Amino acid sequence: MNDALLTLAQAGFPAPMSQATLMHYLVVSALMFGMGLIGFLTRRNLIIMFLCTELMFQAAGIALIAFSRFHLNHTGETFVIFVLTIAAAEAAMALALVVLLFRRKETLDASSWMQMKG
Amino acid sequence: MDGLISPILLYSGCIVGALGVCLALPRRGLSPQIIGALVFALAFGILMVGLGIKAPKAGLPNFNFYLFAIIALGSSLRVISHPRPVYAALYFILTILASAGMYVLLSAEFMAFALVIVYAGAILITYLFVIMLATETPTADQVEALADFDRYSREPAMATVVGFVLVAGMTTLMATGVPGAQPLNTGTTTAADLNELPRRVETSLRSAGLIGIDEHIAGDEAGHQSLDLAPSEGPARVRVTYGQGRTREITADDARWPRDLQLTNIEGIGFSLLRDNPGSIEVAGVILLMAMLGSVVLAQKKVELDEAAKLAAQNRSLASTLTLDNSPLMARTIPGAPNVREADVRVGQNPGGAA
Repeated sequence: MNDALLTLAQAGFPAPMSQATLMHYLVVSALMFGMGLIGFLTRRNLIIMFLCTELMFQAAGIALIAFSRFHLNHTGETFVIFVLTIAAAEAAMALALVVLLFRRKETLDASSWMQMKG
Repeated sequence: MDGLISPILLYSGCIVGALGVCLALPRRGLSPQIIGALVFALAFGILMVGLGIKAPKAGLPNFNFYLFAIIALGSSLRVISHPRPVYAALYFILTILASAGMYVLLSAEFMAFALVIVYAGAILITYLFVIMLATETPTADQVEALADFDRYSREPAMATVVGFVLVAGMTTLMATGVPGAQPLNTGTTTAADLNELPRRVETSLRSAGLIGIDEHIAGDEAGHQSLDLAPSEGPARVRVTYGQGRTREITADDARWPRDLQLTNIEGIGFSLLRDNPGSIEVAGVILLMAMLGSVVLAQKKVELDEAAKLAAQNRSLASTLTLDNSPLMARTIPGAPNVREADVRVGQNPGGAA
């Protein structure tokens, strides 16, 4: 067992994590994701709605890092870099859209665009 | 799932949590936000106790985990319940900082710093700027007024039920799926990757006092690797060269062999990112480029203005052309001659003072 730990350490990995610890992190991640979803559904301010999608990204990031730590595999951490990239791209595009929508109607209320429902 | 958390505690935690979030959301009339936050904290406590009593003593997470989890969840509850957008964004920064703390506990140091720099430093500042740009002008009598759509949430009960049904489903699947999973090093980074970093190995050995100033790691010869840090048998060994082509070998059996000669988190991510997924980086670059182009095009777009705004814009552009034409920098003047145009402008702008 000690030899295996040393090999892992040389490959840049800490000691393995137990399933119970993994579950703690996953529960926190699930709660945060649910909170982001609730916020997206209940808030009517366009900017806050996008902030809630960022909250969901963040929850996914915690789950990815926890699984990466559990399986002792750097791929999960690498994927979080791409999640960050997507979040940055989404923030740039979404906020440009929000500013455009605000200049057209002078309000951030999402329900003022209700007629787009068809 | 009985092995990780008892279903009764899991589902009662979800129901109490739904009740708490539902109470904490702002609504018309009486909105007991503090009571809601306390009920939500109780739900988190139920879930953590449920996980804790089933876990073996060594399976509990670090104490700091609970601290960061409480900060992260509390501030994300405040993100979705605070009526003022600026405060919601600031609470989101707190969520980010707490999750960065959790990343450190999960020994993902590089991602923790990247998260703080990219999210809290760049993305959230963009959000704050947009909140400031796109805020309705306050009227003179109500400077602190909040818009109705910020003050009241839409369908809080329904949304909370949907959200917590999703949470219950996700946690159930996680708890039933996880026992089958074994901790497994399927990673592509191994100790042998250190062989590709001779300079780092040399620095590490030198600071341990194993090799002197004038000694260097030897270059590879045919069929004989000079760096072998993960050999199939025997201890790790390094061949160093000194003097005129003389070599000697150092092995891990040496008492001074540095214990920290191992891949760090950043080196592991670097190998995983640049050696194993080089194509994804290109894709990420294209996505960022497209987002940049898209936001520039969107932000440039002209929007229709109403009559008063049109008139004001016309006046502004007229004034700017006037000053541009008549500015001393633009006018062709002869050195020494009186600057007639500048004087004209002064009279023209100030007809009352010319008399």
